Amino acid sequence: MRIGSACRSKVLMVLMVLGVGWPAQAQTAEEIIERVDRLLRGDSSHGVTRMQVVTEHWEREMTLELWSLGTDHSLVRLLAPAKEAGTATLMADDDIWNYLPKVDRTIKVPASMMGGSWMGSHFTNDDLVKESQLIEDYDVEMIFDGEHDGVGVWEFRLTPKPEAAVVWGYVDYQVRKDDYMPLWARYFDEDERLSRTTEFSDFRNLGGRIVPAVMNMRPADKPNERTTMIYDEIEFDIDIDASFFSLQSLKRRR
Amino acid sequence: MTKHLRVIVGLALRNLQRHLRRTLLTASAMIAGSMLLIFSLSLGDGTHESWIDSGVRMGSGHVTVESPAFRTTQNIDARLSTAARQVAELALQNPLLSGDVSAVSSRMMVTGLASSAAGARPVKIMGVDPRSEAAFTTLNAQVVEGRYLEPDDRLAAFVGKQLVDSLDLRLGSRLVLNAQDVDNDIGGQLVRVVGIFQSGVPEIDQSLVHIPLSTAGEFLGSRDDVTTIGVLLNDSAAVPRVAQALRQALADPVAAGQVTVLNWREAMPELAAAVALDDFGNYLVFGILFIIIGFGIVNTVLMSVLHRHREFGVLQALGLTPGETGAVVLVEGLVMTAVSGLVGVALGLLCTWHFFGEGLDFTNLMGEEMTFSGVVIDPVIIPLFRVTRVVHVLLFILSIGAVSSVYPAIRAASIDVPTAMKFER
Amino acid sequence: MTSTQAGPWRQIGWRNLGRHPKRTAITAIGLGVGYFAVVFLVGWSSGLMAQMVENGTGLVSGQIEIHDTDYRPDRSLYDTIGGREGADISAIIRTIASDPAVVAAAPRLYAGGLISSGNSTSAGMLMGIDPSLELDLTRFLDDLVEGRIVEPGRNELLVGDELARQLGAGVGDEVVLVAPGADGSMGNDLFTIAGIFHSGLAFIDSRYGVLPLDTLQTLIVMDTGRIHEVAVSTADPWIATEAAGRLTAALGPMDLDIEVAPWTELRPEMVEYVALGESFYFLIIAIVFGIAMFGVANTMLMGTYERRREFAVMLALGTSPRHIVLTVVYEAIALGAVSLVAGFVVTLPVMVWWHNAPPDLGWLYGEVTVMGALIRPSLRVEYDVAVWIWSSVALLLTALLAALYPAARAARVPPADALSGL
Repeated sequence: MRIGSACRSKVLMVLMVLGVGWPAQAQTAEEIIERVDRLLRGDSSHGVTRMQVVTEHWEREMTLELWSLGTDHSLVRLLAPAKEAGTATLMADDDIWNYLPKVDRTIKVPASMMGGSWMGSHFTNDDLVKESQLIEDYDVEMIFDGEHDGVGVWEFRLTPKPEAAVVWGYVDYQVRKDDYMPLWARYFDEDERLSRTTEFSDFRNLGGRIVPAVMNMRPADKPNERTTMIYDEIEFDIDIDASFFSLQSLKRRR
Repeated sequence: MTKHLRVIVGLALRNLQRHLRRTLLTASAMIAGSMLLIFSLSLGDGTHESWIDSGVRMGSGHVTVESPAFRTTQNIDARLSTAARQVAELALQNPLLSGDVSAVSSRMMVTGLASSAAGARPVKIMGVDPRSEAAFTTLNAQVVEGRYLEPDDRLAAFVGKQLVDSLDLRLGSRLVLNAQDVDNDIGGQLVRVVGIFQSGVPEIDQSLVHIPLSTAGEFLGSRDDVTTIGVLLNDSAAVPRVAQALRQALADPVAAGQVTVLNWREAMPELAAAVALDDFGNYLVFGILFIIIGFGIVNTVLMSVLHRHREFGVLQALGLTPGETGAVVLVEGLVMTAVSGLVGVALGLLCTWHFFGEGLDFTNLMGEEMTFSGVVIDPVIIPLFRVTRVVHVLLFILSIGAVSSVYPAIRAASIDVPTAMKFER
Repeated sequence: MTSTQAGPWRQIGWRNLGRHPKRTAITAIGLGVGYFAVVFLVGWSSGLMAQMVENGTGLVSGQIEIHDTDYRPDRSLYDTIGGREGADISAIIRTIASDPAVVAAAPRLYAGGLISSGNSTSAGMLMGIDPSLELDLTRFLDDLVEGRIVEPGRNELLVGDELARQLGAGVGDEVVLVAPGADGSMGNDLFTIAGIFHSGLAFIDSRYGVLPLDTLQTLIVMDTGRIHEVAVSTADPWIATEAAGRLTAALGPMDLDIEVAPWTELRPEMVEYVALGESFYFLIIAIVFGIAMFGVANTMLMGTYERRREFAVMLALGTSPRHIVLTVVYEAIALGAVSLVAGFVVTLPVMVWWHNAPPDLGWLYGEVTVMGALIRPSLRVEYDVAVWIWSSVALLLTALLAALYPAARAARVPPADALSGL
């Protein structure tokens, strides 16, 4: 299954978060979403996460080390299970390469294979490549402003702009008022059927910022399946530049 | 020999008349055979033309102009330069060629990915000019829902039924296309489904997507460039002429290895093989039939010779050479076959055209969906009449007549005059 | 002479043939050619159909395919025979092979993945086979374009010639195979291209990578008992349906949730096409012999004309017109018999020759696919005994019918006029 820019931004969110502590003034819906979105992009980051994938046929947990720079460059290396440790995916300027340590080879993934799932999860290769911002692709409207389970939240509806290259009919976000943390994102197709849900939880301080340490993605048509990312460590604004994201880095085991 | 030509011909003609029943019986075999041959050949030609037409419409036309690298790499870099495209299109508008040309469609073809909320599939994205493509393709006649692309469309896509089912689409659904653009980046483009087709060929129904050329040019950065120019002709017999003209017009790019002009036999060798196979089968059948008819003619002419010993003896006594005597028999045979052949061919043309001019419907036998070499066959076959064919048939018949008359003619030429005079007849 | 006598009619008829040997010979040859033509044309057409069916079922797929009931049409990786636990493959194969109609049976496993060589990566379909069993079953691996077949347990791969071209790879080159594993991992390993095949079918030659079953199972993390398909070949495609029924019963005790599908069920359009072809046979017989009839009729007519005197004498001597007719009729039958023998003498050796060693027609046309099945250009013929018999009957009938009018004319010769020399 394919995830659009909104969810992809969620992936990057946990890689690069900034901007804690903004003044809580009255803001437009766009500004809020842009801020949530910008939590998710921008600077560089480096972190370690565990990814649990549960499908109809198997369950797996992987430990991943991630680096990113802006929206154009990312490197993901598998640390566990040991059998596959060293497997890495490099995304630089819209090309994707996979390094396979077992055979010590690198293969380039062509555009037509971008739809395939990434490392068996419910994310796709394409999710790593899309780059535009949420507010570039969507019109934002606040549809709820109040309390939910005793917590002050806003809910926003993001409707794709007429020519935005996204597959969703609309995407709803629930954002916590006091710290601008997203609580969930729901993706709907144009017939208003829920396609997938991403839930954010375990908000804590990682690398100097408040971030949701757990992100859980569930497809609507297969309720028993999920992909959960659990962040163990993250650093932000690291000293890294584009040259790091190279084929040589891809192969290094550390 | 020639001074007695009138005598020879006169004798031959009169002899045919004298045994009219015998002549007519033999002639009727020839007439029946010729009628059948014309009927079968015109149907055969019509069938082939129909196959070829279907095949090239699904493919890239009777004649294709593209970059030589395109067929192997299918990469956007292997596209035609704007200059080459203009030269080719201009050449095709030339009045010398435009009479043969039925449609021209310039297309941008790339492989890419189509995604919806439900999933993603690899596809062949074809950017086309809606108007010219509508005249070219058959897909717009195989619409299951919605409509074909129209000139003002921008974000429109025309997709196959199987793709619609795989990606859970319907009319109006969003579809995002991804492909490698000219800068080697992945470009994305939103389109909406305006029409759904079903061709019956699975590979097409599950992977072909038509979008307006302008839209493709925008998101791929290729502007007005195209990868293929497909030319559809009114009659496949015009292929060599048109291909040659295009090669000449594009002489420079061809020489530089940037452009190649292909005919449909090169572009679709399987289709060419299917047509050749069917032709071969036809020739086989009719070759055999005419051998049988030929034997009949030999017999008839021979028997008439054997009954005219005295006559031939008298002729030679009167001054005809043996060669000329033989010529009489030869002319008899030739005239009989020629006339019956002509009558047969004429009748064949008339009857075929009258009864089956609208087409022979094999739907009961063949059903709607037969595929042959990857092309879906239309069960209605319209006979095609070609002058060259008719000429070939007539020549064939004449040669049968000539060959069949040779042995009897030799017999007639080699009679012994005194012995012959002893006969009563 | 009384009409109850058996009479010399047959002898007269027979002897008349000998009176004009050349004429008889030519007519007989004409009819003989007709016989040969019909038998050959029907045979060649049958040959084409047989090729279509044989290749459509014997080239790659097998006349019978056995799958888990859930497998078709989605072909999910996980729907292996016997479910997740798999099955005892050797036991299945043994049971199948013990059926008398079965020639061979082989297991297959399929997985979609990537095949990468140097800088080129193609999406491919990986097919795991048991090489020795597979060679008995299908033919597309018999004549490899280059190289040799893979061996079990080794990381070797066979690719179609189109795929090899796309990848820019050849025999001995290394490729990386990447395929999602059944446990969610990304299966990958290095393989060497051991050989290149050409099946003639575009989608196979451009997408399929064939490797040993056990190495594919290792690659996609599947137990050795798990396969998607058992393909079965039978001695004759047309007994497959019946054999499928027997196999279903034979495999019943193993309690697997499977379907045993003959090709007639998997590819019904081929069955229709063959029926279509066969419906034309009688048309061919009718046309060929119809034409031949004219020639024979003409010859007989001329013959009876020139024997006016003879018939007049017979009539004058008291022969009944009916017996005159019989004479002519027997002559016709004799002619038919001679033609049949002549035709048969030529037809049989040629048919046997072209059945067993058909001349190649590659110089005339190339490979064709009908209904997705390959037909190679050759003059191969099949025997159809029914058609041979019908053709013989038709030949004799032709001779007979052609003689009817001349016979009637012969009987109505006015004896006095004829004898007086008119």
